[in-house]
Amino acid sequence: MTDIKKEIETQEILVNMGPQHPSTHGVFRMVLSIDGELITDLTAHIGYLHRGAEKLCETMDYRQGIGFMDRTEYLANFNAELSYVMAVEKLMNMEIPERAQWIRMILVELNRLSSHFMFVGAFGVDCGVFGTPFLYSFRERERLIDLFEEITGDRMMYAFFRAGGLAWDVPVNFESRVEEVLLSSEQGIKDMDGLLTQNEIFLARTKQIGKIDAIDAIDWGMSGPSLRASGVDYDIRKAEPYLFYDQIDFDVITGKNGDVFDRYFVRLQEMRESIKIIKQCLKHLNPGKTLAEGASRNLRTPPGEVYIRTEAPRGEYGIYLVSNGENRPYRLKIRSAGFSNLQALKDMVVGSYIADAVVILGSIDIVLGEVDR
Amino acid sequence: MLINLLVVNPFLDNLLKVLSLVGLMTISAMSLIYLERKIAARFHMRLGPTRTGPAGLLQSVADALKLLGKEDIRPKSADPWSFELAPYFVFIPAFMMLVTVPFTLLLNVQMFTLGLLYLIAISSVSIVGWVMAGWGSDNRYALIGALRAAAQGISYELPLVLAVLCIAMLSQSLNLNVIIESQSTLPNILFQPFPLFLFFTAALAEMNRSPFDIPVGESEVVGGPFVEYSGIRWSMFFLAEYTTLLVMSILIVALFLGGWAWPFGENLGTFWQIMLTLLKTSFVIFIIFWTRVSIPRMRIDQLMNFCWKVLIPLAFLQIFFNGFILVLELPKILLSISSIGLLALLVVIVNKSIQNLNKEIVS
Amino acid sequence: MKGILRSMGVTFSAFLRKPVTRPYPDIHKKLPETGRAFPILLWDQSHTEPYCTGCHACERACPVECMSVIMKDNPNHINNGGTSKRKKIIDKFWIDYARCMRCNICVEACNFEAIAMNNTWSGHETSVYDRKDLIMDLPQLLAQHRSGNIDEWVTS
Repeated sequence: MTDIKKEIETQEILVNMGPQHPSTHGVFRMVLSIDGELITDLTAHIGYLHRGAEKLCETMDYRQGIGFMDRTEYLANFNAELSYVMAVEKLMNMEIPERAQWIRMILVELNRLSSHFMFVGAFGVDCGVFGTPFLYSFRERERLIDLFEEITGDRMMYAFFRAGGLAWDVPVNFESRVEEVLLSSEQGIKDMDGLLTQNEIFLARTKQIGKIDAIDAIDWGMSGPSLRASGVDYDIRKAEPYLFYDQIDFDVITGKNGDVFDRYFVRLQEMRESIKIIKQCLKHLNPGKTLAEGASRNLRTPPGEVYIRTEAPRGEYGIYLVSNGENRPYRLKIRSAGFSNLQALKDMVVGSYIADAVVILGSIDIVLGEVDR
Repeated sequence: MLINLLVVNPFLDNLLKVLSLVGLMTISAMSLIYLERKIAARFHMRLGPTRTGPAGLLQSVADALKLLGKEDIRPKSADPWSFELAPYFVFIPAFMMLVTVPFTLLLNVQMFTLGLLYLIAISSVSIVGWVMAGWGSDNRYALIGALRAAAQGISYELPLVLAVLCIAMLSQSLNLNVIIESQSTLPNILFQPFPLFLFFTAALAEMNRSPFDIPVGESEVVGGPFVEYSGIRWSMFFLAEYTTLLVMSILIVALFLGGWAWPFGENLGTFWQIMLTLLKTSFVIFIIFWTRVSIPRMRIDQLMNFCWKVLIPLAFLQIFFNGFILVLELPKILLSISSIGLLALLVVIVNKSIQNLNKEIVS
Repeated sequence: MKGILRSMGVTFSAFLRKPVTRPYPDIHKKLPETGRAFPILLWDQSHTEPYCTGCHACERACPVECMSVIMKDNPNHINNGGTSKRKKIIDKFWIDYARCMRCNICVEACNFEAIAMNNTWSGHETSVYDRKDLIMDLPQLLAQHRSGNIDEWVTS
């Protein structure tokens, strides 16, 4: 055996995945050093989508900044907007009308649903199904986005939340439309579940792959479903409830093992929880105002600093905002879940196969707009 | 007049047949691509091509014209000989396979006595082309893809041959027409469901189709060996892929579903025999498309384990049972029982290995 | 094996369902009345002049600085023998649709309800061959509302 090794010279080769590789979910680039099919090292390169959103927001007043929050987290725009407007509201010490809060909750959960649909679809394609989960999830996501278009007027960049409430009230048929969309979403989740969860090849591809235990996950600063898959029962909606999450009955889904399958399954279950939350929220929806009294168009916050975090589909989406009393932030820092979750990638990937690297990256569910800002 | 000429001049006869085969190959590949796009679209709840011609029928023609018009790019650092020749090494074997395919009793170019052996032998030549393409492109994705293709193609050659062997034992011949004729009362699928599964799986792996599309897996190696190809050379790979798909499906029909003979006997007219073959073939092709849209891709080590540790031992068991039953001239029903038993064993093994994955979670 | 069969069952049930595709250029989906395409200027039919007085409010509010506004004295003002009450009126107005991020802030900023987001398909189908063609001037911005070719929500 040793003689053969001496005679045959083997060599590790570097394989460059991305920024144009189809399964890096955007413009992420990872350089794999591989020994045959096994990965021995990984270098991740980010920053291809860096647009300086934080710095840009410092040159804009608080209302103008909302549009830029959409463009950082472009799969869960409402969640991003929510963190931003909540930070401004906390600085201003504003009272938000109850109706606006409930509508915000519904929209945020619907957005979580659409973002998770996107994840499941892209993840299924990463596993190698020929487009089917992607198309099924887009079928449902399309209905959600149609609903968002009816409410906000835009399909992706909603710019709908305002410091103090909402830009305008939702249409009259809002409740019936939401129920309609939820019905089809349930069907979509059922389809996904049937297509992937029990499939033997899918299980073989995802179980025991990319494992990360609870302690490592916390050390890397992971959050959201990726953290909960490792068995940590931590959800900001429960841990420090914002909006009216404390009045709502829902479960925090956790995995056991922290492998790729758990990260997939936690998200799939979370979609069902989201539907549960939305259904409860709809019952609390009473007519009323949607914009607070003191919310002028051009806000001037008192000096101070504030950190607001919310549970976005990918994890903790935090806004750190420093104001020096002007109508624009002095400093804005976005703590994005994708960026922190991505740090653990090397730990998960090294030692597995090339095909696994793709699946593991898919299971973290990064949005490059949020990672690079 | 023409018929007289054909009978008199065997050379002209064969030339005509070969030429018509080239036409058949192109047309079948184009229509298969169209069908795959349409059927996959329906599985996705999409519409598929609609805009080129009525119901998008001319889409494949448009694609073919576009590919013909494209520039044939060769990377600077590619090895010219292996890069340029590789498509032919994939294309020509696929074409040669068509020669002995049994559409009907009389209609094929050349019916060899050892036709099955010839088919199996030719089908593995294309691996050379894949490796040449991967090595010659000087691209790491292509290299990984080519090596995967080689490993997978050679491994799955074995279950393929073993499945064919089971059938050959049953009908005592390697001539495809004899095999089909022997099924005129009952098709082989009734006696040999496990070899059918074996052949189907191995054929999928040979054709690099899902769930065994590891060499070309778009989400990992972005098209594998032909990542650097474009235009006409790339379309030759495609043509070969779909011709192999057609041949393998007809082969499944001939070996297991009774070809043109079952269920109406041998005396059906040529036209109806062709129709019967085509009907059965389209059914098999539909199932292949169906698996493609439903099943994730396997990983290379799982693929190898599945082949060497599960399929091949079970295939040998089947051959052993077949020989035992046939030599002792036991009733034929035992063949079915043994085969179904092996199929059940396979299911048990797969379920067990998946459960083992779960067990590690608990511990 | 059961799971694989289940997957195939799901895909087959989808095979039998109706496709959900909207063949876009043939069939245009009905846009919601809240729809937000690019901003356009509104035309006051009763005085045959734009509502816009060129007050620069939208220009200042725009986060991406896609607007340029020049104001002038209104020749149609009552003092000049006209019919309008607007002392000042828009002279030149450009919106660079390539820069616009359709955030609706200009509409909120406007005190005269002179600007609105286009909620018809013509606002979405704006592809051109040259980027310069996306810089719209005053007649282009006014044309759609002037011809009355607009849905309800915009003007209210």
